[in-house]
Amino acid sequence: MTATNTLPQRIRERAQDTPHRVAMREKNFGLWEEVSWADYWERSALVGHALIALGVEVGDRVAVHSENRCEWLYSDIGITAVRAGTVGLYPTNPAAEVLHVLRDSGSCVLIAEDQEQVDKYLEIADELPDLRTVVYIDPRGIRGRYDDPRLLSWDDFLALGEQHRAEHPGAVTERLEAAQPDDLATLVYTSGTTGPPKGAMLSIANIEFVIETLRSGGAFVDPPASDRDLVVSYLPLCHVAERVFTTWFNAAVGSQVNFAESIETVQQALREVQPTLLFGVPRIWEKIAAGVHIRMSGASWFKRKNFDFWMKRAAWIGRTLVENQGNHTPATRAVYAAGWVCLYRPLRERLGLGKVRYAASGAAPIAPEVLEFFMGIGIRMHEVYGMTENSAIATANMAGRVKVGTVGEPQIGTEVRIDDETGEILTRHPGTFAGYWNNPEATARTVDPDGWLHTGDVGEWVDGTHIKITDRIKDIIITAGGKNISPSEIENSLKSSPYIKEAIVIGDRRKYLTALIGIELDTVGDWAQQQKLGFTTYRDLSEKPEVIALVQSIVDETNRKFASVETIKRFAMLPKELDHEEGELTATQKIKRSAINERFADAIEGLYSDTDRVIATEELKA
Amino acid sequence: MTTMLRSAPPAQARKSTGVRGRPLLRTSYHQDLALANTPAKRRSVIGLVIASFVVPFLLTDDLLQVLTLGMISAVGAIGLNLVTGYAGQVSLGHAFFIGVGAYTGAVLGGDPDGAMLGYGLPMWIWLPAAGVVAAVAGLIVGPLAVRLRGLYLAIVTLGLVFLGDHVFREAREITGGPGVGRRGAELELFGIDFSSMEPISGLSRGQAQFFLALVFLIIFAILGRNIARSGVGRAFGAVRDRDVAAAVIGVDLTKYKVMAFAMSSFFAGVTGALYYAVIGVFEPGAFSLLLSIQYLAMVLIGGVATISGSIMGALFIALLPRLSQFIAGFVPDGLISVFQLEAILYGLLIMGFLIFEPRGLFGIWTRIRNYWKGWPFSY
Repeated sequence: MTATNTLPQRIRERAQDTPHRVAMREKNFGLWEEVSWADYWERSALVGHALIALGVEVGDRVAVHSENRCEWLYSDIGITAVRAGTVGLYPTNPAAEVLHVLRDSGSCVLIAEDQEQVDKYLEIADELPDLRTVVYIDPRGIRGRYDDPRLLSWDDFLALGEQHRAEHPGAVTERLEAAQPDDLATLVYTSGTTGPPKGAMLSIANIEFVIETLRSGGAFVDPPASDRDLVVSYLPLCHVAERVFTTWFNAAVGSQVNFAESIETVQQALREVQPTLLFGVPRIWEKIAAGVHIRMSGASWFKRKNFDFWMKRAAWIGRTLVENQGNHTPATRAVYAAGWVCLYRPLRERLGLGKVRYAASGAAPIAPEVLEFFMGIGIRMHEVYGMTENSAIATANMAGRVKVGTVGEPQIGTEVRIDDETGEILTRHPGTFAGYWNNPEATARTVDPDGWLHTGDVGEWVDGTHIKITDRIKDIIITAGGKNISPSEIENSLKSSPYIKEAIVIGDRRKYLTALIGIELDTVGDWAQQQKLGFTTYRDLSEKPEVIALVQSIVDETNRKFASVETIKRFAMLPKELDHEEGELTATQKIKRSAINERFADAIEGLYSDTDRVIATEELKA
Repeated sequence: MTTMLRSAPPAQARKSTGVRGRPLLRTSYHQDLALANTPAKRRSVIGLVIASFVVPFLLTDDLLQVLTLGMISAVGAIGLNLVTGYAGQVSLGHAFFIGVGAYTGAVLGGDPDGAMLGYGLPMWIWLPAAGVVAAVAGLIVGPLAVRLRGLYLAIVTLGLVFLGDHVFREAREITGGPGVGRRGAELELFGIDFSSMEPISGLSRGQAQFFLALVFLIIFAILGRNIARSGVGRAFGAVRDRDVAAAVIGVDLTKYKVMAFAMSSFFAGVTGALYYAVIGVFEPGAFSLLLSIQYLAMVLIGGVATISGSIMGALFIALLPRLSQFIAGFVPDGLISVFQLEAILYGLLIMGFLIFEPRGLFGIWTRIRNYWKGWPFSY
């Protein structure tokens, strides 16, 4: 027996201490059904027994392919309890990527959510001889129709666990007690912006480091999170960030996790749950902010005036807060109090942010304008930074010491250093991952012999305390004139407009910068309606001269903020929405630059040709 | 009041923390069905009840009596709303059931030594008995509704009013006949005579009767709301929206249509008995078609299928004579009488509401509420 504390052990402890308290809620048929800690541990233990019954050995990998739901957590805890590793798959992964992850990880059991995911598996089943059993959670469309012998329903799976528990009562406990700190706990596949996804191995010790950091209160939330905090779980659980906010926070401090009915009802779920802690990727925050503007444009005259008036005050409050590292001055406090009655409180409540005491944005860079919007209406926004390879613990803006435009200060227990030559950010702490699965070369490239993790991000110190990230090291544009330019800053500035969804700045080894721009269909569609502009498809709307003029005005506005070498001379409209299935985006909606460059090569060349036409929406390359 | 308005906690051992202050976080259907299902509703109902207990000390007795009669009518309006608004069975026969209740009350609770039949029973017998007798009359009429729909049902219930009118005129030992009338039941409860000049020391007759009517209304309003939010109320709604579809999903049409008439008649019966006991003397002509129309007007103006709407509508109609008196001051003498003006106002109001605000006063209220509920958005 080691002194190791594992996730399952923590859940078991809570099940013993506070069996009837709420661990999580799931919305079904309009009701938030509550799951107690006792139920949580009971079902996780059953999963563990069932897995042993299915012949899962120590060190084996078990894949979970599902939207966020209670069963995801039962599975994760059950898998870790029998010392196997959890492999998460994005629900949006197409069959080809599912095949890559399942084959690369060598998973022996797959827990799939529903018919959609089972179908993806069946498509590629022949290429996966090691995968023995597929457990499906939702039987609709599967039971009575599919007769593949490898399929097993969730109910039968748990029944199997119960039977095994009756025969071998101590089997799961035995495995659990024998857990070692360097056991593989989970394989987190990186989103793979540059190549096929790589599986990052996180060990029990890595996760324990995160949990200890969360418990000590130094990380993220201040005052520390507790069992009175509510979280809405909606980002993919196979991503390390959501795993931190859902599973690990829950195990570490007992915060209550709430699962929405589906990804489409997240806004509604936020309104109902009114979470106290909320993590979002920039895209989510941008969407919320854009949604507010759309809905306001359709509001009645008086409501619009009220909104405009108080948003001007909010912008001022936001700016003042930014100057004061997130702290109020007496003047902002007074204005905020008045605005709280007239706008901020009802607005926040409608957005589901009424009780948020800690909001964070991470996983990608966010435009300062978006942060200011939320800070202005009184939400404590914090930009945080971390990645799978350092278990999502690196730097964070701390309450009261916020510097917008930076990703914050190093977390307690984390060493951060910036490479003198390349400007790359390096981190070191016990949470540094154990290596890439089956890929020692990549591991060696990422972690140097001294234990420093090479993040691949270029950054610099601000005032000696905070870190500002310039860009991904691979994305830095060097123009023909030899000037280093960070495209993401320009892109984020463009994307802070509610009308622009995607912006890709191009200009590596070119004489000037250009951009590919994709509009946000909802907002631009709404705008077009107000302008009495008829349109049919996304492409048709993108090509309207009025829309191009609208985008031009946004580009001009951005250009004013940057030095002349960093301005966008020309741009082209994307003729379609970028898509994960077609390989233009990763599962986390990040842009795969190489794929885009190839796909829209004609359009890009058009931007650098001598034709006078600025707008060159070329045909898609077949 | 507070405990009644709060939902019953679901029977479970789970300790739910964090649900407080999150009214939309529903963990059981009880919260959806609760009497006051949002905190705002709970607070405003409590506030309104407290405010209405203060009203008698602010107004003069003659205005108080108008409100007293309005609140008693409100119970009848809730009854009509149950059958017409919730269950969708148009009834023009409400005046008949009110008449049955009024005479049952007057006979059972009337002065034994008076000119007309009277047994002098206490109020806690005659008031419920008036409801029960009217409900029995409703039970008899109910089966008609099973066979008839819409306009046909309206015509049949209209016939009921004329039948009743005839019977009331002819049964002189009970009703006194037209032009004579009789006294209502004795208003005595718990040894307090509400028809004396100072029923309770320090309270005038108007104030005491106001409180009596207020408590009466609160009891029946909660009863009405409970019927509406229970399985019975949902069955009524299903019958109203499409009776064939309701039958297909297992709603027993005969049972629920008869039930709707019986419940509605019970409300009408108690209203009739109490209303005319407060008025004092009444004659058979009171239970004519005009009374049925008045109650329909309360429901339409107040708001179809809402309890609070029924109350608003009844109070509005009760205050209408005051209003027409006020308007009559501006009309040249001899052109039309106050009563004619009142009748014209009824007609105009019913037409106006049906065309411009079909959901009644309650609809106006919902619109105002939604405006603020949607704040700062419009949708």
